[in-house]
Amino acid sequence: MISGWQEVLKDVISDVLETMFFSMVEFGDCGPADGGFDFGSEIQLLNHTGRTAISLRVSEIFARMITANFLGIEESQVTDDDLSDSLKELANMVGGGYHARIKEAGWRLGMPKVWKIDPGSVDTTQLAGELDFGFFGEPAGSAVVNQLPD
Amino acid sequence: MGTSHKGCAMAYNVLIVDDSKSMRKVLLKTLQLSGFCLGECLEASNGQEALEILEGRWIDLILSDVHMPVMDGIGFIQSLRDKDICGDTPVVFVTTEANEERLNQLMNLGASGYIRKPFRPEEIGALLSRIMGETDDFRMARSVEGCDF
Repeated sequence: MISGWQEVLKDVISDVLETMFFSMVEFGDCGPADGGFDFGSEIQLLNHTGRTAISLRVSEIFARMITANFLGIEESQVTDDDLSDSLKELANMVGGGYHARIKEAGWRLGMPKVWKIDPGSVDTTQLAGELDFGFFGEPAGSAVVNQLPD
Repeated sequence: MGTSHKGCAMAYNVLIVDDSKSMRKVLLKTLQLSGFCLGECLEASNGQEALEILEGRWIDLILSDVHMPVMDGIGFIQSLRDKDICGDTPVVFVTTEANEERLNQLMNLGASGYIRKPFRPEEIGALLSRIMGETDDFRMARSVEGCDF
């Protein structure tokens, strides 16, 4: 079942990836990656009543490819700093786009963060029913919007 | 730092202010592709660093992020105007900000405009050329003439 936030997020993720990262993804059907994803990034929308987190998880292969596209360099030239920086920008732009589309006044964007996912860790965002996306039939990442407790 | 002033009668020195090194690189590349008459391009990672650069350099146009550590975009433009640094140098914000109140605040503080991320090179080129007083026809002619990609 596709819910409201998923429709908004599909639109935002497509727009950001196509415009800035020169990549097109397809949603649904591809399922999660076998070994889970490798990197997480997140940005929070904040207002006086609460916080909403937009979290993304992506495979390393996909992260390296979009970083190379973003910077206009070869994948072999992508450094860990480039990768971290571009995933932060991805979260930042997805958060900004989501905020622009929901048109709720009074919200502001927090600072984006990025982390390497420990292969053995339990990822709680999986429980909330995430939106999977793939690249040429391969799982590339997933996204979820969560209301956070104060 | 980079330069690109193919076919320009006058090239503009630009200062890019953003805490993301990748975003600064992308903005520089975008300026080079947009048909904008780019002279020297300097970079700062926050508003404070930008103020220090502006003390000693002539800059024609400033492109700045809003959300930055140390000194954010609002603090930066406030300092520019309060201290009368660089007088009327146009400041254009490149931002994911969607909060109308904050965007209006930037404009009220003297920003010349803002560009929402994600952006396309031609949007940036068109806005910046308009701010610098060039006509669209002139910019398009130069863009085609100087096209090397």
